[in-house]
Amino acid sequence: MASPIKVFEVFTTIFNFAIFFFIVRMIFRKKKGAPAGSPLLQFLEKISQQARHAPKGAPTSTQPAATPLKTPIALAFSSLSQKTAQMPLVPVPTAKLQKSKQYLQIALNSTLDDARSIISRLPPSDRIILEAGTPLIKIYGAEAIRTVRAMAWPGAYVVADAKTADLAEREVEMAATAGANGITCLGVARVETIDRFIAACKQHGLDSMVDMMNVESPHMLLRQLRALPDVVVLHRGVDETEFSKEKQIPYYQIKQIRGSYNITVAVAGGDTIREVQRAVFNDANIVVVWKDFYSSSVDTVTLAAQFLKEIK
Amino acid sequence: MSTFRIRVLSKDEIGTKTRVYGLPVRPEANWVYYRYANGQLSKYFFMRLEKRKCYLQIALNRSLPEVRQMIASLPPSDRIIIEVGTPFVKVYGSSGIGMVYQCWSAKLGRPGYVVADLKCMDRGYTEVAAAAAAGASAATCLGLAPIETISEFIKHCAAAGIDSTVDMMNVEFPFEVLQKLRPLPDIVVLHRGVDEHDLNRERSIPLHMIRRIKGTYPVTISVAGCETFREVTSTVFNDADIAIVWRPFYEEPHKMAELAESFLKVVI
Repeated sequence: MASPIKVFEVFTTIFNFAIFFFIVRMIFRKKKGAPAGSPLLQFLEKISQQARHAPKGAPTSTQPAATPLKTPIALAFSSLSQKTAQMPLVPVPTAKLQKSKQYLQIALNSTLDDARSIISRLPPSDRIILEAGTPLIKIYGAEAIRTVRAMAWPGAYVVADAKTADLAEREVEMAATAGANGITCLGVARVETIDRFIAACKQHGLDSMVDMMNVESPHMLLRQLRALPDVVVLHRGVDETEFSKEKQIPYYQIKQIRGSYNITVAVAGGDTIREVQRAVFNDANIVVVWKDFYSSSVDTVTLAAQFLKEIK
Repeated sequence: MSTFRIRVLSKDEIGTKTRVYGLPVRPEANWVYYRYANGQLSKYFFMRLEKRKCYLQIALNRSLPEVRQMIASLPPSDRIIIEVGTPFVKVYGSSGIGMVYQCWSAKLGRPGYVVADLKCMDRGYTEVAAAAAAGASAATCLGLAPIETISEFIKHCAAAGIDSTVDMMNVEFPFEVLQKLRPLPDIVVLHRGVDEHDLNRERSIPLHMIRRIKGTYPVTISVAGCETFREVTSTVFNDADIAIVWRPFYEEPHKMAELAESFLKVVI
């Protein structure tokens, strides 16, 4: 038989617990008109609301996230979540290439630190395109594109030189989420890959660039494609330049391509002022340089100014 | 990851403590001496591919946490090679390669064989050095690249002490490329691309090339683009040394262990 003292103890414990819960509730209670509590509380609230509104027998996890919720907290949370879903994590790339203008594309190829200091020295200009080079992307990953985007002036045009050879959609998506405005694909890749690449670029709002390195006739390749890319890059590789001097950049193809298609043409592989002049004289829209901008130096500013002067 | 492999010392140079910046001596045995950043010298075992043995190469292309789980569920077998796919490398960079190498080595209990699918097209030496420093045992270059690039790539791979792989994707006549190359690559990949397979079912894996290339050049042949058990069986039957499988593992990451074991049964 329970003694009255024990019964009293039990009652006191229950009473203590009740007071404790009451105090906790008072602390965490939301005031009228005040903003919703901490994110954790919002989350808990949302989960409990979802569980309450879920039809009986159906598991909560199958309930779609967009269920209309009634309580003010849940409503606030749902509108917030919808907003964040619409908002991408990086600012939407707005810069677009104009066909009447000529651009200087600076490829950043050494290290991220070098890239940072070079970008900080460059004059902010809408005629400079920044390129996250292939070595940079392969060593630092998508972080390289993000860094170039973060360091660049607002509204800068950033190209990811991913050199896609297969699995085009995934790489385009990667570049798009990292904040690039354009991405390159290899012209020597299969036609199916390039087609997919161009379609994916359109879908993600990026400029598609097809790199014609080691392609014998870019003209023939362009005819095989379902849709035209935005930019064609005529390219002589670095190793080719160093080890077989007789190989020339095919300047004559610039006018061939621009005459038959409404495409922007970029020329890569020339690094001296003279070669830049040649490319511009032959009607190239974009001139890609990298060697003079491989590491940051005092001359970076003057060099950029010189190159920009050549590209009218 | 930069502290992983700092300097390679050959067997004779251990007592002299000289710095070795040139070509490391590649010993016949499957070990080398490495000096770490803190000056500690250690004997380092690594995996060399054995001739007359068939390997299953699993290409991992998902996100890093998923890849970790996938590696953890794999059976610790000698005959499995892990490939770090191109999209993975482009998203996570060389630190991703290092992470995969560490996970796979931890699973095996000794250094595992990891292939970095860099798909070099131009000026590959910085990428090769970064991949080797991160722990990759092989790196790939495109067969479509200019010959100068491929031969430079092979030399730099030898300098970094890793296997050079030339990927013959979209190359019509691999012989034309191979006969221009001096030195020869360690591994040649015969490839059917993913995109082309999806859009154009007529294209098949060029199995007839395997014996022709192996008969002419002393290279290891691996075949990429296998998806079914049947394709892997015919690949191995046609004398390929490595079968690269990608899609089944990508689509069903939760079934890694069973898939790997059943593929290993086929790759004899």
